[in-house]
Amino acid sequence: MTKTTRTSRRDFIKVSGAALAAGGVSSLPFASASAQSFPSRNINVYVPTREGGGADRNLRAFSNVWKKYLNTNFEPGFYPGASGRVGYELYMGKAKADCYNLIFGNMGPELLNWVVKKPTFEVSDCVYFGRVDTDPGCVFVGANSPFKHIDEIVEEGKKRKLNVGTSRLAHPASIGILALGEHTGAQFNLIPLSGGKNTVAGAVTGEMDFSVLTSGTVAARGDAVRTLLVFNDENVLGERLDNAPTINGHFGTNLPPLLSARAFAIHRAAIEEYPDRFQVLQDSFKKVFADPEYKAAVVKAKGNWEYINYGGISECEAYAKDIQALGERFRPLLTGRS
Amino acid sequence: MEFSPDLFASLFFHTIGYWWVIIPSILLGLIVGAIPGFSAANTIIILLPLTLVMDVEVGLIFMVALYCSSRMGAGIPAILVNIPGTAGAAATPLDGYPMTKAGKAQQALAISFVSSTAGGLLTTVVALLTMPWLARVSFYMHSVEMIVVMLFGISLIATIAARDTLKGLIAGFFGLMIGAIGTDHVYATPRGTFGFLELYDGVPLIPALVGLFAVSESFLMIEGESILSQHGKDVIRKSGWAATLEGARIAVFRWWHITWNSLIGLVIGVIPGAGASIASFVAYQQSRTYSKTPERYGTGHPEGLIAPESANNGVTSGTLIPLMILGIPGGATAAIMLVVMQYHGVILGPALFTDYPELGYGVFMAMAVTYLMMIFTVLPLARYMSRVTLLSTVYMAPLVIAFTLVGSFVPREYMFDMYLALAFGVIGYIARKTGYHVAAILIGVILGPLLEQYFLRALKMSDGDLMVLFSSNIGNVLWMLLVFSVTLSLYMQHRRRSTDSAEDGKSR
Repeated sequence: MTKTTRTSRRDFIKVSGAALAAGGVSSLPFASASAQSFPSRNINVYVPTREGGGADRNLRAFSNVWKKYLNTNFEPGFYPGASGRVGYELYMGKAKADCYNLIFGNMGPELLNWVVKKPTFEVSDCVYFGRVDTDPGCVFVGANSPFKHIDEIVEEGKKRKLNVGTSRLAHPASIGILALGEHTGAQFNLIPLSGGKNTVAGAVTGEMDFSVLTSGTVAARGDAVRTLLVFNDENVLGERLDNAPTINGHFGTNLPPLLSARAFAIHRAAIEEYPDRFQVLQDSFKKVFADPEYKAAVVKAKGNWEYINYGGISECEAYAKDIQALGERFRPLLTGRS
Repeated sequence: MEFSPDLFASLFFHTIGYWWVIIPSILLGLIVGAIPGFSAANTIIILLPLTLVMDVEVGLIFMVALYCSSRMGAGIPAILVNIPGTAGAAATPLDGYPMTKAGKAQQALAISFVSSTAGGLLTTVVALLTMPWLARVSFYMHSVEMIVVMLFGISLIATIAARDTLKGLIAGFFGLMIGAIGTDHVYATPRGTFGFLELYDGVPLIPALVGLFAVSESFLMIEGESILSQHGKDVIRKSGWAATLEGARIAVFRWWHITWNSLIGLVIGVIPGAGASIASFVAYQQSRTYSKTPERYGTGHPEGLIAPESANNGVTSGTLIPLMILGIPGGATAAIMLVVMQYHGVILGPALFTDYPELGYGVFMAMAVTYLMMIFTVLPLARYMSRVTLLSTVYMAPLVIAFTLVGSFVPREYMFDMYLALAFGVIGYIARKTGYHVAAILIGVILGPLLEQYFLRALKMSDGDLMVLFSSNIGNVLWMLLVFSVTLSLYMQHRRRSTDSAEDGKSR
């Protein structure tokens, strides 16, 4: 299931040869030699969702360009299950912490997962270091819905409890609608529908009063849906999200952007043991964003280039802190223990 | 979206021009459908880079042809060696395999091929003509209604239990308990996972399917030299093309049965999230309920084979309707088609049929042409495929176990799933040896989690009010039909028993 990795004889000879050529083994620290040869083989990427989904497309587009800067290939392995929990547990439990094993996940829902239910590993041992995009959550209805504006939803929510479809309870968009309810006094009943496809279907077929989801997915559905609110400081997609207002702008709330953010993470132990290798990963990761080839790949795959948003280790840390604080605040509602 | 005979005629001939894509796709689909664990969905994902560089029309024709033929392919091992290739073919061996054991594998395959193609073709034509209205089905079939649809399928357990009430019910409840393993659908609380992460998403279907049916069957095979009796072997050896024609005749003669069950499949296929596994069990249950010879079901009755095969092919066109009209994929394969269409900038919805009619209608036309070509390319193969059953169990049992274990591994690539298939094989073997029906266990495993999902959703939406189950008009009509269907089945059974005992009395 997982590939255990260790320095092979060939790797050792290669590193030793490079060191000798540079002026003798005794004068060169091993870690430095190892960094210069990094990566000497393919890098495994654990993906905690299914093949063919958004993460898969996103990863392919990014790694196809990143590999140029590392002169190696990326080998994705898909380990779906339990809202990403299976993939993370396998990565932290079985993959070797040597910088040759990374995980590519969705920071928002997954960090909320850990707030709702602690994993078997220490959360801080898994370090997000490379954010690829930021995709804000949004409120949307089906094209035939009687709701034309977010104010109508809030008004109706004050009269009766509205059913709200969401891909899963522990999701930034779910937090967004709970925060809106708290702010306005409207009552919302979150119904987890197991994935984006069902969440869109819930809104379009009218089973739900409305749904919440990442706006990138909603924008891709075109005229079948209508966006009414965006959980971000700005609606950067504009027309593609029906020029919907933002929650802070329209309601005067002070919420941080409620984003899903796809990002690469790595074992903390790998960073500590192989700092030079980690530096190579970080430097090369950043270069991809300036590469026109990457933009072309995203645009060709009908992705939203506006959502491509570089984030390093500090941006990821700040994001994690915000989302975990929100998760703790709404924990009783997300776990049904209110 | 107006009906235009000229457009349809030109599209038909245009699509036939793509025979060079359709025929290889049919053969590929048959192979991947027949191998447990592989399916149209994961094959298309593997070939996604290839599909994306193709012209969008060629890519869609390729995917549609693969999708249709893989559905039919899944029935082949189900009939020949009791291995359903996918959950959608889980009801196929109930009568298909007993036919094989009676030396009628060739007829069974022919019945399956004709039912699949005729059912698929018919529902494609119906879909083409009624798309805007059929798309509305998903606006009315919500969680409450789906609970009742699930109960139609689950009531099969009661039918099976009728032969040995206690054992049938124990097997059914055992299956439902296995189906409850995994995290719950609302708060993701793990239940009965025994600490195994691999069970967090529930018991994976393919290992359960192949374990209960194929692995346990292989253990039984080892006890004999052949899966066929000497008479069965003689029949297979002597059978020529006439046996294929006989099978085709049996299916064609039951055209009404094909029509009715494929339409059940079409309607269930339109509902997002529902799929072939539900359709095939519901069709089997309905077919048996209204049959004049229900007692023959499970013993190799052609109608018991026609029902699931025509229904699961009816689903294929159904799943594409919400995709094309509403942009909501009805199933896993349709979801991948959505990715390809979005990649090529195709905007789905009613405008597709006016802006790009060659694509909107073309997808369904490709399906119709595929089914037409399938009958001519696949039907002649029945004679040769059926020869597999002559293989000695010395070779067949290990081959079946090897194939099924690989098939268990493929969908998730977990070694755990191979062990799970073996564990289910042992459970299935013990069940068979002690007179418990593995199909009853499997119905619980497949439909139990779906029923729970819809049930919890309905309860959550109503704040725990059980009366929500009777809150919809369509749901209430379905409840009445369910009660009628189960009562009729019990009444017919009672009447038959009375008649049998009266005849026994006379003969004494």
